Amino acid sequence: MSALATNLRVVRALGMRSIRQTFRRPQLIAPIIVFPTLLLAIQTGGAGGAVELPGFPPVQSFLQFMLAGAMMQSLMLAGNSGGIALAVDIEMGFTDRLFSAPIPRFAIVLGRLAGTAALGLFGALWFLAIGLIFGAEIESGVAGALLAIVLVTASAMAVGGIGAAIALRTGSASVVQGLFPLVLVVLFLSSAFFPQELMIEPAQTIAEYNPLSLIVEGVREPMISGIDAADTLYAVLAILGIVALGLILSARALRHRLRVG
Amino acid sequence: MPAIAVEGLQRAFDEVLAVQGIDIAVDEGEIYGFLGPNGAGKTTTVRMLTTLLLPTGGRATVAGHDVVSEARAVRGSIGVALQEAALDPLMTGRELIRLQATLQGLPTAEGRRRADALLERVDLVAAADRRVGGYSGGMKRRLDLAAALVHEPRVLFLDEPTTGLDPVSRKTIWEEVRALNDDGTTVFLTTQYLEEADQLADNVGIIDSGRIVAEGTPESLKAEIGNPHIQLQLAAGSVSEAESILAPIGKLLPPKDGKKVLVEVENGAADIPRVVRALDEAGIAVESLELVRPTLDDVFVEKTGYHLEEESEENAEEAPVGA
Amino acid sequence: MEATLATPAWRANVATIGALMARSKNELVRVPGAAIPGVLAPTIFFLGLNGVFGALTQLNGFTTGSYESFIVPISMLQGAGFTGAAAGVNLARDIELGWLDRLLASPAPRWVLLAGTVLAASARALIPASFVLAIALALGAGWPGIDGLLVTFFMVAAMAAVAACWGSFLALRFKSQSAAPLMQAGMMALILTTTAYAPLALLQGWLQDIASVNPVTDVVEAARQGFVGSVTWADTWPGLLALAGLLAVLGTLALREMRRTGR
Repeated sequence: MSALATNLRVVRALGMRSIRQTFRRPQLIAPIIVFPTLLLAIQTGGAGGAVELPGFPPVQSFLQFMLAGAMMQSLMLAGNSGGIALAVDIEMGFTDRLFSAPIPRFAIVLGRLAGTAALGLFGALWFLAIGLIFGAEIESGVAGALLAIVLVTASAMAVGGIGAAIALRTGSASVVQGLFPLVLVVLFLSSAFFPQELMIEPAQTIAEYNPLSLIVEGVREPMISGIDAADTLYAVLAILGIVALGLILSARALRHRLRVG
Repeated sequence: MPAIAVEGLQRAFDEVLAVQGIDIAVDEGEIYGFLGPNGAGKTTTVRMLTTLLLPTGGRATVAGHDVVSEARAVRGSIGVALQEAALDPLMTGRELIRLQATLQGLPTAEGRRRADALLERVDLVAAADRRVGGYSGGMKRRLDLAAALVHEPRVLFLDEPTTGLDPVSRKTIWEEVRALNDDGTTVFLTTQYLEEADQLADNVGIIDSGRIVAEGTPESLKAEIGNPHIQLQLAAGSVSEAESILAPIGKLLPPKDGKKVLVEVENGAADIPRVVRALDEAGIAVESLELVRPTLDDVFVEKTGYHLEEESEENAEEAPVGA
Repeated sequence: MEATLATPAWRANVATIGALMARSKNELVRVPGAAIPGVLAPTIFFLGLNGVFGALTQLNGFTTGSYESFIVPISMLQGAGFTGAAAGVNLARDIELGWLDRLLASPAPRWVLLAGTVLAASARALIPASFVLAIALALGAGWPGIDGLLVTFFMVAAMAAVAACWGSFLALRFKSQSAAPLMQAGMMALILTTTAYAPLALLQGWLQDIASVNPVTDVVEAARQGFVGSVTWADTWPGLLALAGLLAVLGTLALREMRRTGR
């Protein structure tokens, strides 16, 4: 059997494990789905009047605007949780077992990312459903919904790569878990929850340059108006940027772990 | 009035009866040993007597107060050192004893004075201001014991006080328990170590599967099983001759392995010279001689059909058959 | 023997509560870095919310142009909720470790044991509240006046007590730290389904309905007074009443669980 086929089988096996693990423990899914949903409800209810503000992009409702932000929050938490799961594997010694097997190191990380991607996908579907139930329309229809799903799932994997890198570097689940507040900070400093032009300085400027804003816009535009090539392109580039960062950090962390043991 | 009086005490957890109607009477100034394997119901019983758990049947009084209706009075009269050594790793030893004093209602100055005295008594003065998290297992037990004594309780409950300790630490705890008892404190201790019960307890209650299967002083329990016997390893072929010689001296028990003669004697070690002389006069060579006393494990086996401790496998072979 | 040394009951109870409160400070003081998340979290939320939703004050219905002034009391109350829930988590950990047995086997009344946990949380909540207030004032939030300050801090301490009762109830009921998310989420939902983000008139339909009946809305309004206007008794007493009611209900639940633990 060719090396590629073998590697794919390994990735698939680890991926299945990662996905099973993720969905077998509801108490882990709950914070990733429940917390952003709660926040979505509260922020939509509390700040919904914002749609009246001069300069607010034309939307059907604040909910329609916020869905992309909720998906973003959910996928960031999924990436964090994937990092925690990998760190737990490292602490338990499971990764040592994998490292001493004749499989390429990257298969291990890719397998873990499969679980994160599955969570990201679940989150995207969940919030699309919430939106539909509570009357938010997807302006660009099925195509827009599919695009959103693809971007969210890919972003989850990208962020998961960063989480994995941190897990590999520190080998500590509690360190990765402690980064959760940082996730929220980065989200607040993007256009996830509000149009960037209407944010208060210095948050506004930071959001302008935050790559997460590009991703959120790419997911949001199809929902509130239509699919825009430029927005989509920027979102993809941002995702690729994060993927690249994740790859570099993971590679270095892997080398470090194998050297240090 | 007994220090501890238990009648028909019962505790059910869902369908399971962990404690199935036990009766105990412990006099003031006594050390009572509650002996049994893991899961027998020892800890459950202690938790009921220390008001941490409600009985589902029967009644119990400790220091004259009912554990259900006068729980608070019971708590003021007892000292408790439980199996999990409920200690806070972030506190220092001194802080812990002082906190216990406050919980017991002692005035602050008095509490401090007693804490100092107790730390001295259990030899923890050097470690007193270090965090408990850094204490060894033996140190933690000593601290737990000291804290339990801060209000000079009439009755002390010790749940497996030496489990997991090295032999030296174990001896230290035993000495401390004896010293307390000399001062008049009643001690109710649970243990899975028969040596501990044998050494410390005035009275022993053997518990298995929630029932007391035997009760009495260690000596009387062992005497119930039978007298000690002498086990002799003789040269091959001399067994029947030896038996006929020893028959008048003691009661013969079935020989072992075809080479060992077992004779039960009434006076224990005092009968050894007679046995040896008799065999010597008959010209029978003795390869080895052992005086085997019944142990509490033998009592346990007798009452329950299985051993309390693994190490007593050997003893099982020498145990007299029938009593 | 015990009789000659027993102190009057009230004095013993006060001493016990004090000792338990002193113990609870060890978490913060003796574990390096443990205080940081609790202190930083409300501040992060404050800065984030302010940066994101600050423009809302342009809407009709806001009596202040400073969103900092509007939400700093929310962040302070959030800090109280977080601190109180954390007290519940600590109690759950104490139960798991067997520490609570020591307290339960002593003659200390059960309400005294609960009071130790709850009052400790109230005191601790003042730390993150002070921190976020300092940041907010530096960023231009209006000075609430001494009366406003006192009212707000009182509400914060009382809210922390409410949260601690809730956390303690769950801890005693489930005897496990895994109830922690429920402790935190419960308080978050309670505090944020109020006029937290905007005045009542600007809230969307369903949230407006909830906020109208949520007692914590009165607490929010009372805590916010000095920051958006002047302090009046009319705006204060509903908040006090709400807190008294919440303490009565959750405190009773928690005390009942404490009395029933193991028994």
